[in-house]
Amino acid sequence: MVSAATPSSSARNRGSTVVLGIESTAHTFGVGIVSSAPPYILADARRQYIPKEGGILPREVAQFFSRVAGDVLREALSQAGVDPRDISGVAVALGPGMGPALRVGATVARALSSRLGVPLIAVNHAIAHIEIARFLTGLRDPVVLYVSGGNTTVMSYSAGRYRVFGETLDISLGNMLDTFARETGLGPPYVVSGKHVVDICAEKGEFMRGFPYVVKGQDVSYSGLLTAALRAYKRNPESLPNICYTLREIGFSSSVEVTERCLAHVGKHEVILTGGVAANDELNRKLSIMVRPHNARFRRIPKKYAGDNGVMIALTGLLELLHGVGIVEPERAFIRQRWRPDRVDVPWYPKTLGDV
Amino acid sequence: MISQFLEFVSSLDLLARGAESELRKGHYYGVPAVYKLRRRKEYMDPSLDSDLRRARTLKEAKVLSVASRANIPVPLLLAVYPSIGLLVMQYIEGERLKEALDRGVSGHCDLARRAGAILGMLHEHGISHGDPTTSNYIITDSGDLYIIDFGLADFTSEIEDLAVDIHLFRRAVSSSHARLAEDLARCFIEGYSSVRGEKARPVIERAEEIMLRGRYVEERRTVWKP
Repeated sequence: MVSAATPSSSARNRGSTVVLGIESTAHTFGVGIVSSAPPYILADARRQYIPKEGGILPREVAQFFSRVAGDVLREALSQAGVDPRDISGVAVALGPGMGPALRVGATVARALSSRLGVPLIAVNHAIAHIEIARFLTGLRDPVVLYVSGGNTTVMSYSAGRYRVFGETLDISLGNMLDTFARETGLGPPYVVSGKHVVDICAEKGEFMRGFPYVVKGQDVSYSGLLTAALRAYKRNPESLPNICYTLREIGFSSSVEVTERCLAHVGKHEVILTGGVAANDELNRKLSIMVRPHNARFRRIPKKYAGDNGVMIALTGLLELLHGVGIVEPERAFIRQRWRPDRVDVPWYPKTLGDV
Repeated sequence: MISQFLEFVSSLDLLARGAESELRKGHYYGVPAVYKLRRRKEYMDPSLDSDLRRARTLKEAKVLSVASRANIPVPLLLAVYPSIGLLVMQYIEGERLKEALDRGVSGHCDLARRAGAILGMLHEHGISHGDPTTSNYIITDSGDLYIIDFGLADFTSEIEDLAVDIHLFRRAVSSSHARLAEDLARCFIEGYSSVRGEKARPVIERAEEIMLRGRYVEERRTVWKP
């Protein structure tokens, strides 16, 4: 069906194009396999690095990735039941992310694409989060709130690219929650039976006054809030549930408020939430309330695909391959730790996989 | 009592609705007035919501009164009701600078110079505007220029905050008035510098930096060619 930009190897593949995608920007090593024909998602294999204590050290993550990469790759191929020769392209998230972690994925991807003799496709990790959310929610032209351990960004499409309308001026929302949990002994692990430990702690809490709420124009800032919360905890450890509640309430509300400002500014009628923190029920609830007076729709992404995964990389890589963009020579596939989404053309927009 | 008053405000003609507030047109003791109501945000904890609306309403009222007292052409503050998030201010009858420029008003450089001078006066009094686009300047029938909408204004003397104002004006003219953008930006900065003297330079330099920093992406695409 799709042939123009598709390399010859796909001819073996009953007219569909299959791309394997590799994710290794942060704590997850993931391999996904996506086809241009239903059921689209053929495989989703991943391993997450969970530190026994403290935060995530890039070097340790890279060592972990190197150990599991082969297994994850094998697992994905067996899930998909495709012959490696049926793969038309190898996509890899080259950034943004942590250097040592990115290098593992890039190395695997270069080797695989050379071995299979298929194009190597560079994928921007942030864009992949948007594309998987657009694909799964059915919302095609949304304002996007992207929140994860490393990112808090409000984006929307305009004139060929995803533009950044607002972002955190310092740390990300996920980073704030994890750091607070770590410093107060709530974690790690940061997520217990599907809930963040700060959410669990906040369940019995009430709002406390005196914490900074920082929204500057379209941007947010969380470092002052984190400092204030940690100071309040030191002064009065018994009030931890109230501190958890307030930290979360201010953190979430301010990110929702900048999303609301973007929505009013661009005049669109759809909102999606994506990234690791998108699995959070409370943040989803707030966004679904926010859109009402703006006559906009909000749909949540399935929890499974909120966090980092290889499927979103494969999906975005496939869209790139079908539109003839993003293909790089393996020897020039350099990682880009600070690769901004607004540097990437997205010629398929607003369509996605399966749209005619 | 409060609910009756809110009902009255809600019955006034809607001028505009933003993310933050609703603007309605009415009278206040016979004076043509704008009612700016910050609506309750249902997604926030009620305490956080009321704290924020109170603080933002009070801040905006304070900025307006400081600016008025300094003889800067801003709408006069008529009343403030922090607990319901309502400001009442003078209605400035006229045309937005944006519309005047769009229809090719004569003397665009002079207008930009005066707009820059007004921003310079605000900065002299430690006020950043937060959104000084051409939509937020109004030309009255008698030819006076006013600056409006202090919803994102703040008391600050930080170079960075002031530079963002300059940057925002420049970005606004380059997207809305591309053909005149260079003229408008140059004249705006002339006006700004005429008020601020020596203090203008670091702010203007920082504004250049912000443009190249890449947080505001449109500009970087035109300036920074890979």
